[in-house]
Amino acid sequence: MSKTPSDLRYTEEHEYVKETDDKSVVQVGITDYAQGELGDVVYVDLPKLGATFGRMDVFGTIEAVKAVSELYAPLAGTVTAVNPALEGDPALVNRDPYGEGWMIKLRVKNPKELDQLLGSEEYKKHIGE
Amino acid sequence: MAIDAGLLEQADQTGRALLRLYRFLPSCLSLGRNEPARKRYDRDAIARLGIDVVRRPTGGRAVWHEHEVTYAVAGPITAFGVDSGRGAACCAPTYRAIHRRLAAALRTLGVDATLAPDRPPPPSTTLHRLNSCFATPVGGEVLVAGRKLIGSAQLRHGQAFLQHGSILLDGSQDVIRAVSCRPSAASGETTLSAVLGRPVTFDEVVDAIVRTWGEAVTSTVLHRPPPSSTALFLDPAWTWRR
Repeated sequence: MSKTPSDLRYTEEHEYVKETDDKSVVQVGITDYAQGELGDVVYVDLPKLGATFGRMDVFGTIEAVKAVSELYAPLAGTVTAVNPALEGDPALVNRDPYGEGWMIKLRVKNPKELDQLLGSEEYKKHIGE
Repeated sequence: MAIDAGLLEQADQTGRALLRLYRFLPSCLSLGRNEPARKRYDRDAIARLGIDVVRRPTGGRAVWHEHEVTYAVAGPITAFGVDSGRGAACCAPTYRAIHRRLAAALRTLGVDATLAPDRPPPPSTTLHRLNSCFATPVGGEVLVAGRKLIGSAQLRHGQAFLQHGSILLDGSQDVIRAVSCRPSAASGETTLSAVLGRPVTFDEVVDAIVRTWGEAVTSTVLHRPPPSSTALFLDPAWTWRR
């Protein structure tokens, strides 16, 4: 059984959104379920600071074992931070997806989009847990 | 590579699943999309040996394409009766479904091909350092007597995927060791000729796959890739981007 913290919001594509101390900025990464299904993450290709994305735009790619998959922006916004630790240690995504394995921080363009994300119970249902 | 990338675009736009069987001429070293190739391979040695190099759009590690049947499958994420969904976490069902078909084709040639268990033990630190795609089998890959016969990699884009790979007919992956900056252990592959104890031709493997694939396979004219993707794969800035 994977971890799906109740205070986070989720996409069907397995990204999570976590609030930060700055109410207008959220932390984005992939879920514990996703990292478990992917296996050993070997590379994460992330955007540059200041990049802007619409909701569900591709913001990067993740490679695990043999597959490269796209990462989708759960919300429209501007990248305010990129996790530098993933360059040297992409397996942080496996070890601590909701903590040290975070990917980007987004300044949210439209907070109402948060309502379109899944809650933890909905996400659990989506992944069959 | 450009044709395979074009197949992915076509699958994403049309929802059609496509199978391509081909071979490299001349022989070629392909790098995984995100491999740190600049520190992993000796470009002087590659130039000295006159080796063509291309970086794939898909993941994984280096492959030496010489005596092989190369396959590419592009299709919607719902292809092969597998609704693998979009986004991260979803590649394994398709990976296995395609390998099951390829293994079935090879069994008609008398090869005892099986799929690696889904969750093999994690590779050791030493194995992580191996450069060849064939160094370590992962779950769902095609093995014969525990050795890897097919090396595959996948890219997911939008509502579609591209998976391509090498079915080894003969030869070895020793070229990769010869151009690696650091010494590495021998690769763990096997070949159809080694397994069957006789030469195995490109045509008989292609025939076996076409015969057993499951859906009608028809000859098609060569798919013409968009010029932009041809330019990408010819660009050293892409090939040596890491």
